[in-house]
Amino acid sequence: MSVLEAHSVTWGVRARKLVHDVSISLRPGEVFGLLGPNGAGKSSLVRLLAGHVAPSSGCLTLDGTPLPSLPVRERAARIGYLPQQFTPHWDYQVQEILRLGLERSLNPHSTSALDHLAVAFDLGHLVGRRWSTLSGGERGRALAAAVLAPEPQVIIADEPAAALDIGQAAALMRRLRDHASRGAAVAVVVHDLNLAGRWCDRIGIMQQGRLLESGAAQSILRGATLDTAFGLAIERVDAADGSLVLAPRI
Amino acid sequence: MPLLLLTVGLLGGVLLGQEALSPASLGALLADPGQPFARILLEWRLPRVLAAGCVGALLALGGAVFQGVFRNPLAEPYLLGSAGGAAVGATIGLLVPLSMPVTVTLPVLAFSGAWGATWLVLLLARTTSVAALLLAGVAVAAVLGAARSFLMLALSDETVSLQAVLAWTLGGVQTPSWRELAVLGGLTIVSFLLCRRLARGLDLLGLGEAVATSFGLEVRSFVRWAVLAGAFVVAVSVTWGGLVGFVGLVAPHLARWRSGPLHAALLPRAALIGAGITMFADGFARAVLPPAEIPLGLVTALVGGPFFLLVLAREAWRT
Repeated sequence: MSVLEAHSVTWGVRARKLVHDVSISLRPGEVFGLLGPNGAGKSSLVRLLAGHVAPSSGCLTLDGTPLPSLPVRERAARIGYLPQQFTPHWDYQVQEILRLGLERSLNPHSTSALDHLAVAFDLGHLVGRRWSTLSGGERGRALAAAVLAPEPQVIIADEPAAALDIGQAAALMRRLRDHASRGAAVAVVVHDLNLAGRWCDRIGIMQQGRLLESGAAQSILRGATLDTAFGLAIERVDAADGSLVLAPRI
Repeated sequence: MPLLLLTVGLLGGVLLGQEALSPASLGALLADPGQPFARILLEWRLPRVLAAGCVGALLALGGAVFQGVFRNPLAEPYLLGSAGGAAVGATIGLLVPLSMPVTVTLPVLAFSGAWGATWLVLLLARTTSVAALLLAGVAVAAVLGAARSFLMLALSDETVSLQAVLAWTLGGVQTPSWRELAVLGGLTIVSFLLCRRLARGLDLLGLGEAVATSFGLEVRSFVRWAVLAGAFVVAVSVTWGGLVGFVGLVAPHLARWRSGPLHAALLPRAALIGAGITMFADGFARAVLPPAEIPLGLVTALVGGPFFLLVLAREAWRT
């Protein structure tokens, strides 16, 4: 059963369609990976799924309710959005950003909720620090903590690992996976094919605003559509532990 | 720091003036309110100092709101044409003979001009994007500036009228009656409460539009309301104090340095700092060239100009 469904959604800027007739469904407990070259429409689809823009045609539903009809506050509590880049305009302290994230929760949170959150994301020693003094990895953790604070039912992440090193990226994907195992539906844009293979249950490939193909991760990663979408040959190697390793032939 | 600045500003405003007082003589006057100078103090100097404090607090609140909306520490309260609109209104009030006394027409027209110009900017910008609002603000300010110059050339036939317009645009607080001061004080409290309601939205907006939206802020409607609220606050200050520059820029900065960027703490601190600075500047304006007064806006610009450069340098260093 799906939580968030997009039915034939189309969206664009002026005459240019950035997302064209895309239908996908996000299921609880699953991580759905979105792959595709730059300009394929992944970020635009993510904005639609997060409810930040309304489709020009088609519709989006959350548990059967049309997304635009949900009160903004309820949408904020039920859908968490992890952006590609995040640079606050003011030099907030970590605890201030965590508190703003926690305040989205529909249920009142206890005074110790912030402490629990900081500990869960290994931010206990950083809560009083200002954003400008954090490293890239610390910023990634702080933002993820704020976004995931109210345990949203759906998590939409737009290349959250883009600015992180391999270890931090894997840790972030593991967190998203953990949330999925607790019942959340996760959609994540990824560029690293091996991260996608390791952490995603299903994958969709986008090109020129269209969803070319979607399905079980292993089957999609082994299929030829991936090579077509990126315009290059991708070598696939089965590792000894049974996992699939992908390497583009450049 | 805000309470210290407020105290220094209040004392400076009361002690400085054509007849400077020492703290000891102030104590003696307060102990014997029957003295003639004590009456001058209570009926003239104190209401004026408090009015300057309200004007400063309003400018600081307006500045904090506009800096929050535009997410830019260099934004100032007159950014969206409110100064130009108020100046056109005041020019009409001072130069066009109307059937009502100028003490009524001037504030009404100045307020209408400030508020109307911001509405015009919002209508012209059509979106609430920062760039569109700023461009519309610059365009409206340019047209209003030209309109004011035209009105001054076309309508004035006495140098005195032109001087009155010029004095008004340079800023200055007139001594209000206690009743007028009560109205201004009430409007200042209303303005503070209005701005206070924007605090959480301004905090969220500081996270960027995408994250603010995902954290539950209706960015478009919030920006529109925040701009109108900011314009209301600035219009009230302009109506009572003319165009007093730099307080709205400096006070939120000082408050942010001490209290951080969260607006629930920032707004009251900025208001207290703005009040303190303006009360002191008003006292200085009365004291520096007795018996003449130099315009309040000139004093704040003298101090605020270098501060603005300091902020620019700090921002350049940060980036």
